[in-house]
Amino acid sequence: MTSLTQPARPPGRRLAAFAVASEPGNERLALDQVAAAVASSGLTPARLERLKTAVAEATMNAIEHGNLGQPDVPVDVEVIQDGADIIVAITDLGGEHQPAGPAEEPDLALKLDGVQRARGWGLFLIRNMVDGMQVRTDGQRHTVELTMRSEGDQT
Amino acid sequence: MDGPRVTMDVRHIGETAAVVDIKGDVTAACEPVLMSAYEQAGGLAASRLVLNFGGLEYMNSGGIGMLVTLLVRANRHRQQLAAYGLTDHYREIFELTRLDEAITIFEDEASALASTGTAR
Repeated sequence: MTSLTQPARPPGRRLAAFAVASEPGNERLALDQVAAAVASSGLTPARLERLKTAVAEATMNAIEHGNLGQPDVPVDVEVIQDGADIIVAITDLGGEHQPAGPAEEPDLALKLDGVQRARGWGLFLIRNMVDGMQVRTDGQRHTVELTMRSEGDQT
Repeated sequence: MDGPRVTMDVRHIGETAAVVDIKGDVTAACEPVLMSAYEQAGGLAASRLVLNFGGLEYMNSGGIGMLVTLLVRANRHRQQLAAYGLTDHYREIFELTRLDEAITIFEDEASALASTGTAR
């Protein structure tokens, strides 16, 4: 994961751009709209499901940890196709902050022993669901960019 | 969006096993629903709880955390947890998180119940 400071926007063709209010559960709206936007992009069904999970988790983080659950503060979502890459940029207005999640890798055995808390799977899921993840901050705009290739090694 | 979008109906199988039919979204918001289902399933009297994910529409990290909480409770009382009806995607997530090592996954209800001799 890298943290950039320039307000770069991914190049390529924009498939969708929308915002959701920072309310619990609205990650479902984001994943449904992203799924519709990439329906013709060539992602296999399995990889589409992975992307949807990553989008949902990143949007939840933006709602809860970026915008602190303030309904009037939007989470912006932009979907770009750049060649074989599908790029989903999810932006909150929380400024520089780390993606939510424990510093250590979640470990089920440690969670069952009470050493780690039961939750804290979000960042782990994102990292394992997509081909790439980048984080950048431009003032208050904090963006998590997810990349999923629609060609090549597909499962 | 309002409250939990899930129903969890409990079916008792014999005296010590129960199936929980999960329909809808499994998120942190549905923890009260799951814990209520756990109690309806017999609480500490149930030695085996089978989770039917055939009606699952969506599960997020909060839902996974909730299942971990259920597992902690079940382990404390030496109860077995099993599951069936998972799609390939959620089965992959179970494998990724290693939940599949703690919650035995079966192809269907009959095999889940047969594994402990509670088949109907």
